[in-house]
Amino acid sequence: METRTPLLRMERIDKSFPGVHALDHVDFDLYEGEVHILLGENGAGKSTLMKILSGSLPADSGRIIIQGEEIRHHSPERASKLGIGMVYQEFSLVPSLTVAENIFLGDPPRNRAGIVRWGELYRRARESLATLGVDIDPRARVGNLSVAEQQLTEIARILAKQPRILLLDEPTSALSDTEVDRLFEIIRRLQSRGVGIIYISHRLDEVSRIGTRVTVMRDGRVIGTLPVEQADIDTLIKMMVGRRLSEQYPKTLSVQAGQPLLRVENLCAEPFLRNLSFEVRTGEIVGIFGLMGAGQAELAQALFGLLPVTAGQIYLNGQPVKIRRPTEAIQHGIGLLLRDRKASLVPMQALPANITLANISQLSFMGPLNLRSEERIATRYVQELTIRPPILKRPVKFLSGGNQQKVCLARWLASGARVLIVDEPTRGIDVGAKAEVFALLDQLAAQQGVGIIMISSEMPELLAMADRILVMRQGKFSASYQRGEATQELLLRSAS
Amino acid sequence: MSQKLVQDQDLGVQVVGEPRFRRFRGSARDLLIQSGPLIALFLLAAYLASATPYFMTESNLVNVARRTSVLVIFAIGQTFVILTGGIDLSVGATAALAASISAVTMTQQVNVLGIKFGPVGFVEGLAIALVVGLGAGLLNGLLVTRGRIPDFIATLGTLEVFRGAALLVTGGLPVPSYYSKAEKARNYLPKEVVSIGSGDWLGIPIAAVIALSVTLLGWVILRYTAFGRSIFAVGGNREAARVSGIKIDRTKIGVYVVSALLAALAGFVLTGRLNSANALMAGEENLNSIASVVIGGTNLFGGEGGVFGSIIGALTIGVIGNGLNLLNVSDFYQRIIQGTIIVVVVIFDQWRRRRFGV
Ligand SMILES: Nc1ncnc2c1ncn2[C@@H]1O[C@H](COP(=O)(O)OP(=O)(O)OP(=O)(O)O)[C@@H](O)[C@H]1O
Ligand SMILES: [Mg+2]
Repeated sequence: METRTPLLRMERIDKSFPGVHALDHVDFDLYEGEVHILLGENGAGKSTLMKILSGSLPADSGRIIIQGEEIRHHSPERASKLGIGMVYQEFSLVPSLTVAENIFLGDPPRNRAGIVRWGELYRRARESLATLGVDIDPRARVGNLSVAEQQLTEIARILAKQPRILLLDEPTSALSDTEVDRLFEIIRRLQSRGVGIIYISHRLDEVSRIGTRVTVMRDGRVIGTLPVEQADIDTLIKMMVGRRLSEQYPKTLSVQAGQPLLRVENLCAEPFLRNLSFEVRTGEIVGIFGLMGAGQAELAQALFGLLPVTAGQIYLNGQPVKIRRPTEAIQHGIGLLLRDRKASLVPMQALPANITLANISQLSFMGPLNLRSEERIATRYVQELTIRPPILKRPVKFLSGGNQQKVCLARWLASGARVLIVDEPTRGIDVGAKAEVFALLDQLAAQQGVGIIMISSEMPELLAMADRILVMRQGKFSASYQRGEATQELLLRSAS
Repeated sequence: MSQKLVQDQDLGVQVVGEPRFRRFRGSARDLLIQSGPLIALFLLAAYLASATPYFMTESNLVNVARRTSVLVIFAIGQTFVILTGGIDLSVGATAALAASISAVTMTQQVNVLGIKFGPVGFVEGLAIALVVGLGAGLLNGLLVTRGRIPDFIATLGTLEVFRGAALLVTGGLPVPSYYSKAEKARNYLPKEVVSIGSGDWLGIPIAAVIALSVTLLGWVILRYTAFGRSIFAVGGNREAARVSGIKIDRTKIGVYVVSALLAALAGFVLTGRLNSANALMAGEENLNSIASVVIGGTNLFGGEGGVFGSIIGALTIGVIGNGLNLLNVSDFYQRIIQGTIIVVVVIFDQWRRRRFGV
């Protein structure tokens, strides 16, 4: 392999942001028909390296060579001419446009007079979605799609351009297994056509499934590159984190579930949810599993006042409650970590303001803020969740994706919620920090008696952390398993 | 400096539980970058000081301060609205309406629904102006939230309504007016009104003291209250604010009330300075207040900025106007030059943001 000329070479790429050396003389290469996996902790510099390759960020120094030719004056237009297509970690879709308009953004099919041919636009959009094997209406507004659907639209958009070099930045962080399988099929197909693919992920099991080589980064530097055959998970973790990990899923087992905290009876939210009944006890972690669109996200939204409940009743501590708005949910001690980071953070505000936002919303109008205690809270979670860089006054928009996720999580850990709903709590978080997240969730449940509803598409997480797992299918519960009863096969079978 | 930071980063893997804080690094550079508008103002003043001997005289500077004070009060209110991502086009009209109604009640007897009162004194006059402001602000806020009308359209509409109402109240005449047909009338405003508009206190214009107090109060509200934090959250990411439980409608209504109350106060101070009120006063204040906020570095889309920038913006506009007068530039050219300078300052500011990513 090493004798062929690479499709792409990046040499000594260097990039600094104020206070952060994001890339420190990074060398990277990619061959035709290869899936080169890029691993590293949150903030290691993976997305930055890809953004430089796709022309959306300038490098401070270094060379980019594509098929033997050095690229000068790189830009996004240049990159797309060169056949580089990038699926961004934070999507690049326009929420107010339709799926089809997004897929052909800037380059819709036109007739001779230059007028857009709408019929063909929708037909071709439907085709490219069909190759992904997903059922998304090309006329739907992107802003109304779920995160998984947005992710798939973003992927379809890039694939429609038929890139020679495909960059995928955590494409599966919001997808469930079925979609992941389809995406991998497509990746293999592209691979056989000679497309070079760079693939960023925090799901280490994916490495052996589709990778040909792996490069691990840490603190802006390349630690090493291995062929997948030599890359077992332990080695990778050690390269990424620089130490061995202790327990991946810390779980206190001796806790007896206590009083019923939240009880839901015959909850309906047409057309998404039908007759859901369940309860969550103090100190209990209830896992919810389902395929894309099975209603997990909608259940969370309905409990949190983001989706109107059409029938049924919610009880908190035995009292019936009505929840029409997030404010009321928070008043009642319910917290919701959304899967969608973009809808959760105030980008130009600093860490403390973002972490304490839910608490502040419950103060009276002229209620005074305690900036010192905000800083204390922020400092605590910066340490416990290893948010990096630990600069409190920096706006969160400058944090890496995984670190932003940690900020979202910190908000709800700090909110004092009695019932905490977390939707993909570890989305985009690296292996090391995942253990910290689970430890904190476990501590909340076991020591403070918080009831946790954990929605996740990662079955190992659910199997390890949940006391009970409910499986959803088409807006209903299709199965319920006690801890220890379920296996991945059982979960999948009940879900589909 | 960046070399040093790089070395810091080189210490390798960070041990959990011992984050290295670097909170004060780079703050000098930040300050320099953030104070772009202040530097522009400084250069402008330096130029005028060298171009005309009158600029730096005490009497001229006091005059600039007095004239700019009214604009500052408007601009602080406008800052609140713009920080939420809104815009208030009705501030000038609100000021005129509040000032007209209060000036009428301070100079003649009025008959409201059969209750006759007046002419009232200074305190009552001020209270009446503020109540009118409160009403105007609530109306704007309700239109934008409950009425679901875009901020721009809602306040464009109320702008016309308030001007019309002010014309009705004054009959199109300046107040006080010698043509008043009221039973009891006096032809002058209370002396306190005149002194807050054009009086001095220890050599400082009282209007400037008011403007500074308003700014300080605005800063405290934005930085130290839940309301202030909500404003930044709503303007920074409305959806995030909503899912975090922030009461968006209340915040929006709140900023329009603040804006209208300050507009009413500004109208009152302006009445004192002009020693008269009329329905068409404060005609340029809408655009000037918006320009002040933008020159001051507040993001027009909301979520970023603050009141101190707006003071600097207002001073910039005030100093430009004063300087052009001193340089005997004709009014026609003045407008062209003013407009150009505003655009240039904002272009510079946008460039600065992109370049330094602040
Ligand atoms: N625009 C920016 N301004 C300042 N710092 C930035 C900016 N973009 C990235 N950084 C910093 O650069 C470093 C690398 O970020 P990057 O997004 O490349 O991380 P990543 O490896 O993709 O992490 P993740 O797994 O969390 O997505 C981080 O410390 C981040 O805070
Ligand atoms: Mg990233």
